[in-house]
Amino acid sequence: MEVEREKRRGTVKRVISVKNLYKLYRVGDSVVHALDGVSFEIYEGEFCAIVGTSGSGKSTLLNMLAGLEKPTKGEVVIAGQHVEKMNEDELVRFRRENVGFIFQSFHLIGTMNALENVAMPLMFKGEPRKTRMAKADRMLDMVNLKKHKKHLPNQMSGGQQQRVGVARALVADPQIVFADEPTGNLDSHTSEDVMRLMQRIVREQNRTLVMVTHDNHLAEYADRVFHISDGSIIRIEERKNQYEGGKTHETA
Amino acid sequence: MRWSDLLRMSASSLKRRKLRTFLTVLGVVIGTASIVVMISLGLGLQQSMYEEVEQSGGTTSLTVTGQQGYGMGSVYIGVSGMEEEQSEKYITDDVIKELSALEHVRSAEPVINIQALGLKGNYEGYLDIYGMSPSALEDLHLELEPGGRLPDPDSPELELVYGNAVIMNFYDKNTGRGYWDGEMPDIDLQNDKIFLVLDQDTYYQSQSADVLAGSAADGSTGSDGSGGNTGGPQTARKHVVQASGVIAGGPEAYNANSYSVFCDITRLKEYLKKEFRGRAIPGQPTTKSGKPYSRFVYTSAKLQADDMENVEELSNTIRSMGYNVSSNIEYINAMKSQFAMVQAVLGGIGAVSLLVAAIGIANTMLMSIYERTKEIGVMKVIGCSLKNIGEMFLLEAAFIGLAGGLIGNILSLLMSAGINAVVSGSGMVSGGAGISYIPPWLMLLSMGFAVLVGMTAGFFPAMRAMKLSPLAAIRSE
Repeated sequence: MEVEREKRRGTVKRVISVKNLYKLYRVGDSVVHALDGVSFEIYEGEFCAIVGTSGSGKSTLLNMLAGLEKPTKGEVVIAGQHVEKMNEDELVRFRRENVGFIFQSFHLIGTMNALENVAMPLMFKGEPRKTRMAKADRMLDMVNLKKHKKHLPNQMSGGQQQRVGVARALVADPQIVFADEPTGNLDSHTSEDVMRLMQRIVREQNRTLVMVTHDNHLAEYADRVFHISDGSIIRIEERKNQYEGGKTHETA
Repeated sequence: MRWSDLLRMSASSLKRRKLRTFLTVLGVVIGTASIVVMISLGLGLQQSMYEEVEQSGGTTSLTVTGQQGYGMGSVYIGVSGMEEEQSEKYITDDVIKELSALEHVRSAEPVINIQALGLKGNYEGYLDIYGMSPSALEDLHLELEPGGRLPDPDSPELELVYGNAVIMNFYDKNTGRGYWDGEMPDIDLQNDKIFLVLDQDTYYQSQSADVLAGSAADGSTGSDGSGGNTGGPQTARKHVVQASGVIAGGPEAYNANSYSVFCDITRLKEYLKKEFRGRAIPGQPTTKSGKPYSRFVYTSAKLQADDMENVEELSNTIRSMGYNVSSNIEYINAMKSQFAMVQAVLGGIGAVSLLVAAIGIANTMLMSIYERTKEIGVMKVIGCSLKNIGEMFLLEAAFIGLAGGLIGNILSLLMSAGINAVVSGSGMVSGGAGISYIPPWLMLLSMGFAVLVGMTAGFFPAMRAMKLSPLAAIRSE
């Protein structure tokens, strides 16, 4: 199966490569294996979902991919860089250059309007105000928030806020986007909307998206689904029809 | 991140919590204002001292007096070989010449200082008379009441310039009451002629002799012999003198020359020589037998140095010649260290309140970081560098310091003006400078200090914000 996939993808670039990843927590006298030897690879342009129940280790995995947590053992190579070996300054720079982040509870800055929130990653990059505002404006157009550009987060619905979150994750043109339960705080209808939006963008812009969710149904939007339980990947589900199917996908 | 963005972020987070920012800034305002006002009081005192010094001859003048009784084996070889055996140094005409020939000396003028008695009607008062050359008098920059002028050196009469407070020295001979007893002596110094008694000893002897004579006359008629044993003239001569001017200000105002009387040195010398013919003039050195020297000895010599910088060197030179030197520079130096101490104490008192303000800043910043833990975490995840986060919080604290420093300075300018208005209204100080003086450097320094205090207080919170784990920060809901 591995060989088959390599063959099929041909020259497709490997973006994330995880080898023998372990994360152990000490809880009292016992040791908890949050991650127990995980290895996988994610290729450019893929929309991957990591699915598992709470406590399965899926969030820990995502945090380690993003460099928010240090693994106990093993290596995480993203875009050719060893994330596990970076110090905090390097991690911040790495995230700024390569990674976009979508949060469960949106995490927008309450005192900034939608436009400013979207432009924030560019501000950290040191882009002049004018160009970054223009870029943010385009991103908001893309996520269909033309009318809410000057609204503060508390003047928007959850779905709208998460669209702002998606725009913010994408504005700096990152190679990889991580999404941690992006629809966890949304009702099912809005969830579908946001999922479709993310899927569309991945397809159109050939981005790599890694999403963590506990919802099997939402995972159906992904090209590949990693099922994780007790710190190990128990099953990798390939959704061929989606990967090859171009812009259309099966509706849920 | 760009500086403009950092500034905008910091300013907006301050604006977000207006009341808290205002209260924190208020603390800094009070701290800065108390330091500035306290130091300004010290500076005001110093300023008025400088003005006083300027009145009494400025910073370049030195007063040289003779040395008596000790200082044997000095390097100085007498002008005339006659007094080589004695160690006393006197200011004579020759010495004046020698002094004026020294390096850095612009001018050297002799000064005679004697005590005399002034009489006017029933009033009697002690006068502290300074005889000076016309140019030395001019150097004093005396401010005279309208109509006054400096003594005319060509006038055959002795002309006096009275200090504005000299009138306070006069008292009623019979009642003993004077200015201090609430009775203003009825003398117009500017226009009234007064009697000047230079020879006080003789005057008092003759006074008591009169009384003696009076009581003797009651008993017997033979009173010829009274006072005859003194050997000198029986009565002191009373010179009629006229004022040429009075120093402006009235008796209430004080300046360095308030209690002095000035006159031309040549006239005074003539008067003294005439008065004490054949005897020793008071204050003049005598030989062991009580006879006066042939030369006239001045009380002191007044020197003007070419520059303030050279005053100290010059005074050392003259001291090594065996004379006593006093100059304002020494007074200034002594006062300077005293004022530095006063200012340190006053500034220290003010600094305590700024310290309290600093604690306030630290508290506000910590609160702000607790509130924004999530925000800071998100920023870190999105890619804000640790350095930028630290800078953001430091800037915020610096803003508080700067705002506090600015407003504090404005407040202290107002307070200083208020203090000066109140004080000048009650007439406690003389001269133009008030009791509180805020120079520009103090304003700049205090503002810089306020910013520094703000940043120091913000440093620990900023470090804390930098160290926040992004993961823990996002999780805190």
